[in-house]
Amino acid sequence: MWINMGPQHPMTHGLWNLRVRVEGEVIRDVEPEMGFLHRGIEKISENRHYNEVITLMDRCCYVAGMSWEQLFIQASEQALKVTPPARAEYLRVLSAELQRIASHLMWYAAFVQDLGLMTPFLYGMRDRDLVLDLFQSYTGARMTYEYMRVGGVRNDAPHGFTDQCRKVLDWLLARFVEYDQLCLGSTIFRKRCDDLGVLKAPEAVAYGVTGPMLRSAGVRRDLRKDRPYSVYDQVEFDVPVTDTADVTGRYLVRMEEMRQSVRICRQCLDWLDRNPGPVLADHLPRWLGAPYAPVGREAYLLKRNYPTGLGFSMVEEPHGEAGAYVVNDGGEHPYRVKFRSPVLINIWAAKRYLPGYRIADIPPIMGSVDVCVGECDR
Amino acid sequence: MRGVELSAALAARFGDKFLGLDPFPGLVGRVRFDPSVARALFEYLRDEQGFVHLTMVGGIDWVDHREVFYTLWSDRDRTYLQLSADLPADHPTIASAVPVWPGANAHEREAWDLVGIRFEGHPDLRRIFMPEGYEFHPLLRSFPIHEPEELEVKARSD
Amino acid sequence: MAPMTLFSVADAIAAALLGLLGRLLPAGAAHAVTAPDVVLGLATVVFAAILLAASMLNTILLIWYERKLLGRFMDRRGAMHVGFAGLLQNFADGLKLFRKDTVRPREADSLGFWASPTAYMITSLLIFGVLPISTGWNDGSLPLTLLLALVIFSFAPLFIFLGAWASNNKYSLIGGMRSAAQMIAYEVPILLAVVAVVVLSGSFDLTTIVNEQRNYWFWAPLFLALIVFVAGMLAEMERIPFDLPEAEAELVEGWNTEYGGMLFAFFMLADYLRALVGSILVVLLFLGGWTWPSYVPSALTSFPLAGIVWFMVKTYLVFGLFVWVRAALPRVRTDQLLRLGWMRMVPLALLSIVLAAVVVAARCLPVLGCIPSIGG
Repeated sequence: MWINMGPQHPMTHGLWNLRVRVEGEVIRDVEPEMGFLHRGIEKISENRHYNEVITLMDRCCYVAGMSWEQLFIQASEQALKVTPPARAEYLRVLSAELQRIASHLMWYAAFVQDLGLMTPFLYGMRDRDLVLDLFQSYTGARMTYEYMRVGGVRNDAPHGFTDQCRKVLDWLLARFVEYDQLCLGSTIFRKRCDDLGVLKAPEAVAYGVTGPMLRSAGVRRDLRKDRPYSVYDQVEFDVPVTDTADVTGRYLVRMEEMRQSVRICRQCLDWLDRNPGPVLADHLPRWLGAPYAPVGREAYLLKRNYPTGLGFSMVEEPHGEAGAYVVNDGGEHPYRVKFRSPVLINIWAAKRYLPGYRIADIPPIMGSVDVCVGECDR
Repeated sequence: MRGVELSAALAARFGDKFLGLDPFPGLVGRVRFDPSVARALFEYLRDEQGFVHLTMVGGIDWVDHREVFYTLWSDRDRTYLQLSADLPADHPTIASAVPVWPGANAHEREAWDLVGIRFEGHPDLRRIFMPEGYEFHPLLRSFPIHEPEELEVKARSD
Repeated sequence: MAPMTLFSVADAIAAALLGLLGRLLPAGAAHAVTAPDVVLGLATVVFAAILLAASMLNTILLIWYERKLLGRFMDRRGAMHVGFAGLLQNFADGLKLFRKDTVRPREADSLGFWASPTAYMITSLLIFGVLPISTGWNDGSLPLTLLLALVIFSFAPLFIFLGAWASNNKYSLIGGMRSAAQMIAYEVPILLAVVAVVVLSGSFDLTTIVNEQRNYWFWAPLFLALIVFVAGMLAEMERIPFDLPEAEAELVEGWNTEYGGMLFAFFMLADYLRALVGSILVVLLFLGGWTWPSYVPSALTSFPLAGIVWFMVKTYLVFGLFVWVRAALPRVRTDQLLRLGWMRMVPLALLSIVLAAVVVAARCLPVLGCIPSIGG
């Protein structure tokens, strides 16, 4: 019997369809169907200024907007040959790590709710709100920030931000203990999640799975360590790894990642306190700030001095490794923007990690993948 | 230098089907190759150069031809490599990478859907985002972006 | 003077009403309407109406209670805006559901689709007819009220499965099958746990069982049976952690996926009615019903309606326990649930029967003085 789990289904956490062939309650085959949320972000990007694409990046993954902004900005800066000031880099890393905490909290909330636990859902959302409040204090928005710019970030953090941020981080660290008690302390949780959705390292690598799913299989791969971008080589942190390759492993990896993110954030905050300075590069091409595409003679003049080039950037997004490839042919719009969505690939490996389990296992397994359809369909 | 070594190795192995290795900041480089050796190149890179992880596959429409690019990651060297091949615009076909990296499945379906590149040997080359029966490949430059379109979605057979 | 029972109240109301009517009518007709049979018939209707009103009111209060309690567990406040502390929220929700269309899928079987929520609701309400809430609630002269209550209680899987099948939806079907499997699996340990109580009390009559608990409540000697019974009741009520039939994460809403509007409200209300029945049964069987042990000062137990008040307090505390469980535990899986039922609950229940027998035997030791309870 084929069952359509989606496109409107509580398990999907978005808008996609998992077709499942079951025998009784046992899954025999699965087939993901995507595209319900396809907005053509890559096509729209081809017709927009670089800075206008940032708006789309927030919508690309609505729970990890900062990470996607960082991704696109890094690729664009490479393509356009712009270097941001150091303070901007630290602000970006701080934002990305806060975003990772927010995204993982969202994941935690959704994941435990898939197991039937309502209480941690509200705890997770409550604490995520604190992080969103932080975002609001320096970007003005809670989900769609439009904070990063080619050449830096839009504005500096306001006065008193670092202290407030430290307070929130301390609060979060204390809450993580509570989360673990609620989940790992529960026998039912362990019975449900241990040895569930196992995807061993060789298969995970072959299927291109990245992020916490890969690290839970024992592969110590984290782009922040392996190919440090931005200022990740200036901060200290560990890469959590488990070798169980199951849902519990992914839970542990994500929980530890949040703690490591808190660590990174604190180092960034200390650095920001010590080093005031500009947050936007001085020598930006004029059209980068222009709200509309320059026309006529001005466009022609500007175009003469355009650098052309390719930009490639990969970031360790909360869901996995996200990539951007920007082709700059000298126009004011990117010629082609290609994004790699980690979630799409992680979902596609479901053919390997779902069959053999039961219908009731689908929500926790897919929950542990941390699906964000926005970036999947783009 | 990794790039120089790789360039020499590829030249020795693939001869004139290997069209050169362009520098690319932050990556080993950008290997340009002839699409006829795609499959052999993939296997060689995975098995002998350690590029075990396929990061992305995408296509670019350069109007007069189409480019297909692959990004690979090597766990051993902790670095990326980009492959790029030019395909004729009227017959954009290249061998599928799915037998080499199973994870290429979704990437190649996406490239087919959006840029219209055919991957021979792909087990299930259908559209991934657009509905079945959609007539355009939206990321082609010929896609009429300013005209309203009527979309007819075919019902699934089962 | 015979104790005032709910039925005697209903009888008095019916007699008074008919007497009033008789005074307004000519003599012949008056004689007809005040005939004992007519009074008895009206008394039954009044009795049922009072029972219905009481149980529905309690159910709605129960939902409010759960929402508030669950809210507190989750670090929020629950319903706040309609009425004092959200007391009227459920009435507003009910009104909203009442006004909604009940949509029947085209492919669904009409009869089963309409009949099953109705039957589910009716059977859930029926149980209240046999449950003694306090000494004066119902006559309690039926010898097998416990069995009757459990039998009516176990009708539910039939109607759930019927509704699920009739909905013609895959989720409903899976949910219905799960529901049937789960309820049937947990009938057995529940009944076995009840047998332990019966062994100890020597009666299938709920009133007698409660009266037997004057000196000690049964939860202490029958702690195992209490655990089995509560777990079984959780499964029967389909509450977290055993709410697999309507596991919303994978089955949307399980067997009531296709139901909306008033039919959904029927299912929902019946679910809470059953939760109320479950809590009441726990109180009756293990927590002494409306009684208190004799060392409790009589001032606490002898005010008017003390029985009902204490009974409801206990019931709501037991239900609070269920809510607590819901707030703290994730859902188990079908196979784990069934394995737990057959492999753990049944042996535990059997063990508790043995324990009950030991307790009964100990009571008959010459040292303690034989208390003749078995067989009356």
